[in-house]
Amino acid sequence: MSDPAKREKDRAFGAEALRWFPELTRFALSLTRNEADADDLVQETFLRAYASWDSFTPGTECRGWLFVICRNTFRRTLLRESRQVEADDAELEALAAAALHASALQAGYGTLFSEFDLSDAIGRALEALPENFREAVTLVDLNDQSYEDAARILDVPVGTVRSRLFRARRLMQEALIDHARDAGLVSTAPRPNPKGGKEMTS
Amino acid sequence: MRIFNRLFRRAPMIDCDTVMRQLWDYLDGELTPERSEAIRRHVEMCSRCRPHSEFERAFLVAVKRSRREHSQPERLRGVLVEALAEQGFAPQ
Repeated sequence: MSDPAKREKDRAFGAEALRWFPELTRFALSLTRNEADADDLVQETFLRAYASWDSFTPGTECRGWLFVICRNTFRRTLLRESRQVEADDAELEALAAAALHASALQAGYGTLFSEFDLSDAIGRALEALPENFREAVTLVDLNDQSYEDAARILDVPVGTVRSRLFRARRLMQEALIDHARDAGLVSTAPRPNPKGGKEMTS
Repeated sequence: MRIFNRLFRRAPMIDCDTVMRQLWDYLDGELTPERSEAIRRHVEMCSRCRPHSEFERAFLVAVKRSRREHSQPERLRGVLVEALAEQGFAPQ
């Protein structure tokens, strides 16, 4: 590669790829849940990105491109046990979420997530998810990706992202309610009046 | 009713079942502005959907709050730039 071309490549890589270092680091950390592994993953991702920079199309979304490399590297190099479970229909999952909320409310856990610091338990619940569910939560909930961007990164239809995400959230909520019960967390919020109020429902 | 809504620029009223089906999409900001507004209006007034929405929103906030940040990002950035330099990268 000629000097001007090499300089342009390095300039473009610095400006377009390295600017996403904080986001990529956060994404790697949310995948590995371990700083040492995240360090390796970040380095490996950027080295692969630099080596294949010619395949990046200028003007396209560089962050998503880096996330794809990071995710593929994570799957390949860490040889994680890949427990793959498919989710049901997203609509059914959404209705199941409503049922779970109703039972949480009856058990006195209607304000569980706003009343207690559950960070550690959330980390464990996330870790326990099947890999493809965890990826959906990691991208959308922890790394602010839209359903469409997550679908592009995971190379699946948007509907698949929705169903995996909704199922993952329900599994995490079930785990967190179990945790609250086991830890004896007691909500100070009043339980619902079974007769309900006078407000509208339909 | 549609004419009424159009005349008064109001989002059409929707029922609890529709809200439950689309609550995650609503909380994730994935709906059109019109649909989102219709759900917001319903949730605001509905004694069944409002606690459900608050429960799910609090969950999303708690998950985001659990997000871990790297403790030494500058050290990692330095190591990364060194590794890239070994591959020929020269910051411009």
